[in-house]
Amino acid sequence: MTIPKAIRLLLGFAALLVVIWSFVHVGLRLAGTRSDVGKINLTILHWGNAEEEQIVIKLVEAFEKEHPNVKIHRLHASNYDPKLKTMLAAGTPPDLFYLTYDNLEEFASEHLLMDLTPYVTENSPTGRHQAKWLDDFYPILLDVFRYDGHLPGQGALYGLPKDFTPMVTFVNLDLFQKAGVKIPYDGWTWDEYEGDMRKIAALSLPNSQPADRIYGGVINTYQEVLNNILWTYGGELFGKDGTDFRDIRLEDLKAQAALQMVKRLRLDEKTVFNATGIALEGGQQFYDGKIGCILPIGRWMVPRYRSIKDFRWDVVPLPHGERTVSRITTVAWTISARTQHSQEAVALLKFLCGREGQAMSARLGLAIPSLKSVAESDDFLTPGLEPKNTPLFLKEITHARRSLTPKEKEFNRIFEQEMSSALQIGNISTMDAARNIRQRWLRELDSPLRKEQAAPMPWGSLALLGVGLLTLLLILFVRCASRENLGPIDRANQRAGWMFIAPWLIGFALFTLGPMAFSLLLSFCKWSSITPLGEARFVGLGNYKHMLYHDREVVGQSLWVTVYYVMLAVPIGQAASLAIALLVNAKVRGIYFFRTAFYIPVLIGGVAMGTLWLKIFNNDYGLLNGLLRPITALFGATPPDWFGTDAKRWAIPGFVLMNLWTVGGGMILYLAALKGIPASYYEAARIDGAGRLRQFSSVTLPLISPFIFFNVVMALIGSFQVFTQAYVMTGPGPDNSTLFYVLNLYYQAFEYHSMGYASALAWVLFAVVLVLTLLVFRASRRWVYYEGLRS
Amino acid sequence: MTTIAATLPTPLAAPRRFDFGKFFAYAMLIVGSAIFLIPFSWMISGSLKTEANAQSSKVDLLPIPAIPQWQNYSESLQKMDFANCLANTVVITAFVVLGQVISCSLVGFGFAKFSFRGKPGLFIVMIATMMLPAQVTMIPVFILFRSLGWIDTFLPLVLPAWLASPFFVFMFRQFFAAIPDELLEAARLDGASNWAIYSRLMLPLSGPVIAIVAVQSFISTWNDFMGPLIYLNSPENRTIALALNSFKGQYGVTNANLLMAATAVTMLPCILLFFASQKHFVESVAMSGLKA
Repeated sequence: MTIPKAIRLLLGFAALLVVIWSFVHVGLRLAGTRSDVGKINLTILHWGNAEEEQIVIKLVEAFEKEHPNVKIHRLHASNYDPKLKTMLAAGTPPDLFYLTYDNLEEFASEHLLMDLTPYVTENSPTGRHQAKWLDDFYPILLDVFRYDGHLPGQGALYGLPKDFTPMVTFVNLDLFQKAGVKIPYDGWTWDEYEGDMRKIAALSLPNSQPADRIYGGVINTYQEVLNNILWTYGGELFGKDGTDFRDIRLEDLKAQAALQMVKRLRLDEKTVFNATGIALEGGQQFYDGKIGCILPIGRWMVPRYRSIKDFRWDVVPLPHGERTVSRITTVAWTISARTQHSQEAVALLKFLCGREGQAMSARLGLAIPSLKSVAESDDFLTPGLEPKNTPLFLKEITHARRSLTPKEKEFNRIFEQEMSSALQIGNISTMDAARNIRQRWLRELDSPLRKEQAAPMPWGSLALLGVGLLTLLLILFVRCASRENLGPIDRANQRAGWMFIAPWLIGFALFTLGPMAFSLLLSFCKWSSITPLGEARFVGLGNYKHMLYHDREVVGQSLWVTVYYVMLAVPIGQAASLAIALLVNAKVRGIYFFRTAFYIPVLIGGVAMGTLWLKIFNNDYGLLNGLLRPITALFGATPPDWFGTDAKRWAIPGFVLMNLWTVGGGMILYLAALKGIPASYYEAARIDGAGRLRQFSSVTLPLISPFIFFNVVMALIGSFQVFTQAYVMTGPGPDNSTLFYVLNLYYQAFEYHSMGYASALAWVLFAVVLVLTLLVFRASRRWVYYEGLRS
Repeated sequence: MTTIAATLPTPLAAPRRFDFGKFFAYAMLIVGSAIFLIPFSWMISGSLKTEANAQSSKVDLLPIPAIPQWQNYSESLQKMDFANCLANTVVITAFVVLGQVISCSLVGFGFAKFSFRGKPGLFIVMIATMMLPAQVTMIPVFILFRSLGWIDTFLPLVLPAWLASPFFVFMFRQFFAAIPDELLEAARLDGASNWAIYSRLMLPLSGPVIAIVAVQSFISTWNDFMGPLIYLNSPENRTIALALNSFKGQYGVTNANLLMAATAVTMLPCILLFFASQKHFVESVAMSGLKA
């Protein structure tokens, strides 16, 4: 026995053992009897990293010990939106779940949340006083989870905050000192901030490489962050102190002054780092010691920054203009309105937000306890640990403010797209951005889809109709088939064909046809995916009209981005995988290793790969531009800022380039096809005097054409639905430059809660891809050669 | 590996003379595979760093950092409850791979070698089912499985695989179409039933496509995240892909080094499988030779 064979045998044996062990392990678990019969079952859903999850696990165990009659099913989801929303849509929401306060209005107005007020009022004769234990929460944190039917902030209580953070500034003390800037522990004005940024940025050496440059600071451009800056300038996002959502005040002088400051520092003076891409908010640059200060940002950076060894750092207040304001971020545990066990659910809610859990998470350092007694204890203040100025987080409560945003999340999309144009790319002025936001937002609000009250969708009669139609089709089909005059052989052939494809037919009828038909029906509905199906309203062609008349820019942009990608990625990807297949078809030593090397990138997916690509493509620090810079310098040019300022032109080619790493999948199919070509064909061609190229075009290409056809069709269908990489890496990108069609559809379905509209978008895409695929099928008759099929 | 290289004919071999073609092939292979190994190398190096260094914005090209943190591996596996996740993933993957190979080869055979009423239309319908983005059918499918009482079981992840997925059916069909009809006719004349033709003629001839379908369905099931996220609830039912994603916290990836260590371990079976099964999908089945 040779050594490789022995290794293979050994591996096979090990694999077999693992499989057997797995089946035994899972089998035993399934066979184990459940002891929770007769108990009260509560389901809770939460997110968080491993440490945060451990805290919830410990709390759940402690609660179950105290309440032996309750069994808690704890669900943890890193992708929270799709998980929560499928559960809500199916009418089986978790009993308790996390909610951020910008979702409160929508959830409360759809009656998805249980009103906690009766459970938190004192048992006094009037029942109007709030229970004593509630006094330990910071009042503003409770207020953000109140809703009176019109506006959040007052009325009934719908959630208990588990923790919170105000916005502050993280500063690199060493850089401040080096630049001779006073550390603004007692606050600073925006003018002082600008001056300080200039002084710190001047620390970079002249002509330094982008990777070594020092910036004064980082200002993020998220809606929440910009909102905070607006407030400090004395501006407002909306009229009537931020409560009239039809009245956008971004064109006011004070708001403009704030926006222009951000633009000036990021794009004109470049004293502030122009961070782009969702995963690149400058937090890492601060860590690396290249950034003077980062703002407005919350407590959550603390655990990571505690491992900084190269410089000293601390937290200081945000700069102020007319006002000193700090925006509050907080997450609450809420209870579903559909819970069967409200008493136990409330007990659990109080326990999860109780002192024990808050003390544990305070020690973790990610957030600030919502209970005063814990926040003011050493569990949170952690004397001796960085940042020294931790009490600042509690001081900021005095000028904390919650931000109100419309429950229609499209506002965020419009806002962030226009702001990324003005503040990240700089292709429009801040005034234009403000005007565009106002106009687009009003048009969105005026869509008939938002206004009209439509009739409920008659699901029952539709189901009957569907069943009737199907039976009719079946009867017609059977009658046609029986009328046909077929010989016994043909008949047997027909029957055998049907038998062989039966597995797919059954699967199609059971699991595919229904959901597809259902989504088609939904495309004529208005349905937010967080309410049960019965709430769906029939709007006819409303969704399709909305697409054409009210959302044309975004749909058009996403279609263009996608088509651009498909046009580049499909031909380039296929050519590359064929070329690599030809290369690894070489008969040389170690070819097994080389083939595996080319295939490995297919295996690394998801989060890990996205993070890597962002680093490779980063303009200042990235590997790619580091290599390109000397080359482009020969022509007196600089390489593109792929996902940053040059995103409009270069983001899609960037994605195509990334896609090239995953050509291994196509490669193995081509490789198998190449191996299937008998050597005798090439010999015959050589005897006829064909050269290498001629052999390739007359022997190789026709014989592998069925697989080229397969790969092209699959790449076409797949590329139109490209989603994951953009979702992980860039989101919509600056000025929607990476808003792929399905990415937009996903946001509509799971973030803006317009499942009906998302379905309409999906069916439009379906039609486009179907037409293109049929064209490819039709054309294939001319160039695809099946050796086994000859007519 | 050496035996295979030795038994293969080497058409380029010309002893004692510098072989430019071979040199060129080697050069391309080495440069190309080095480029393709960048992500892998970065991941291995990240998995051996401290958390702080793993987050650094510079991409390190050396796979082993100066002070390797081997304990990252044990720590990450412990954190994700690896043994349990592994068992779940193996069980699901085993069922899916078996189901896909069997059902897709049957359906592919049906579409490739029989002519029956409505076949072209049905084939297009099958391809078309792949064109609707899964994001909009996710909720209806969830409601369907819930009404069957299958939530928090492996059934929604496993059972559909036994009812053929269009992608692999199409792939099988393309392979089967290349097998000459004369071969089937000859077998029929010898009295072979359709079933015998499928199991004794078609399957033995399609080693490469079976290997490719097995490898690809293995990898996609092994790494599937959305399916388990939606259908599984209990922590004890978690798959590896779900556990990997729990390294992602509310404010982005926290333990990047642990995430990379766990990802590297998870990838290992896929790499070994690919390496070991290559033999099968590059074996040339001299089917065309049979025709003569």
